[in-house]
Amino acid sequence: MFRYFHNHFQALTRGLIRIKSNLGASIMMFVIIGITLCLPSAGYLIVENVRQISTKIQHEAEIGIFLKKDINQDQIDFIDSALKSSPEIKKIHFEPKLVAWEKLQSKLKLSTLDIGISENPLPHSFFITLNTLSKEKINQLTEDLKLINGIDNIVIDGSWIKKLRAIIYMVKIGLLSLGSLLIIVLIVIISNTIRLQTLTYQNEILVSKLIGATNSFIHRPFIYTGLIYGLGGGIITVSILKGVVIIFNNIAERYENILGNTIVLVGLSSTDYVIILLSAMLIGLLSSFFSARHSIKKLENLY
Amino acid sequence: MIKFDKVFKKYPGEMDALQDISLEISSGELVFVTGQSGAGKSTLLKLISSVEKPTNGSIIFENTNLSELRNKDMPFLRRKFGMIFQDHKLLYDRNCFENVVLPLEINDINPTDSARRVRAALNKVGLLNKEKMSPITLSGGEQQRLAIARAIVSRPSILIADEPTGNLDKGYADEIMNIFYSFQQVGVTVIVSCHEPPKSPIKFKQIHLFKGQISNSDNHVPLLS
Repeated sequence: MFRYFHNHFQALTRGLIRIKSNLGASIMMFVIIGITLCLPSAGYLIVENVRQISTKIQHEAEIGIFLKKDINQDQIDFIDSALKSSPEIKKIHFEPKLVAWEKLQSKLKLSTLDIGISENPLPHSFFITLNTLSKEKINQLTEDLKLINGIDNIVIDGSWIKKLRAIIYMVKIGLLSLGSLLIIVLIVIISNTIRLQTLTYQNEILVSKLIGATNSFIHRPFIYTGLIYGLGGGIITVSILKGVVIIFNNIAERYENILGNTIVLVGLSSTDYVIILLSAMLIGLLSSFFSARHSIKKLENLY
Repeated sequence: MIKFDKVFKKYPGEMDALQDISLEISSGELVFVTGQSGAGKSTLLKLISSVEKPTNGSIIFENTNLSELRNKDMPFLRRKFGMIFQDHKLLYDRNCFENVVLPLEINDINPTDSARRVRAALNKVGLLNKEKMSPITLSGGEQQRLAIARAIVSRPSILIADEPTGNLDKGYADEIMNIFYSFQQVGVTVIVSCHEPPKSPIKFKQIHLFKGQISNSDNHVPLLS
């Protein structure tokens, strides 16, 4: 077991020495990986913020319950108590038909004579706010309400939320595609760098092979180099994202008075940052593994 | 120890590098493989050290048929040989110590033992005081001695040297050959390729190659006793 770890420690040391011996190019590689990964990650950060805002808006979305015109007070009281007993309902507002009628008239600046209507055409209504986002629960609640005698119509005021959600979903798909393309670009860049490194260390590889090194012994330092490239790039990505959040929030705070509202960009969670780091390391590891294996196999013809 | 039986080696698109080679090398022998450039000396050494596989025929080394050796087993077989090359094949981005320790790292020897063995090998070739120096600062003879230290540090049973004195003047060449004689005398099999056999103070076998075939194989008694 000691030897196993010692071998890996040696390979890691060799990888670090190679990075140090070519520090300028290695830093460039960190920056390239960092910025490339930053593009989809920043997109994800924005989408996550929009999604969280949309979630809050959804909480405030209303469901309108319109009652039958011939409904009596007992039935209204029954519906009110039924709504109050529902755990999914956060807020209940009852709008008598008279109030609704007056509101409409004042909004349209009309009198009953202007439109030729002598009788109030509007029903009594309840407007409720839900404390759930679950589509199933909302549907279940609507179905239950329909069964109550005296309810004429139920309108869920959430169509624009649906549109926003659809847009967020499409943007997510777009980001996924962009992310996949950029990962391919990264794989190509890292693979090419490792390929060039195998040429730089061609002599060492050949000598090691001639004196009995196994392929894994030769591959290991290159794999660690790729892994370190990924780690360095990942750290740059996380730093940029955190920096953007801090700078944006500082600027937003400064202009709070002008904007009249506080806009806060919420950073990604620690889990998200760890995922970005691990993904970057995985990209580095896989690219270097396949590139080193392929390039070293080609060198075997040079004995 | 090593037995060639009707071995042929042909590189793609070229004539046979070796034809119908049959020979035996016993344990502890000193062997000079001689011949002009292109005679097949390097190919013969590559076949012995399993860097190349024969096109036809069999090579038996310690009951193992090298022709049938799987690729994944080759590195482990190569560890039994100490290899020395005309161009030294040293790593110039590492110091002398790091060059010599490489076979021990490959062999998974622990660092304490490695350091002791590297210093012993460097001492044997007279380079102990230069362990921290870069090989590029050494003379041609010293570089070849360093290559020998790297070859012997893992205590191989066979030393294979491909024209080790080809680029050296006579004084350095004699130094190198004396190191080989000293190893042969402690039981190591030494196989050296060169154009002409040197005036050896000890008994040796000569395998002379001409156009890929053995033209002469003789045992020589010491010229100096």
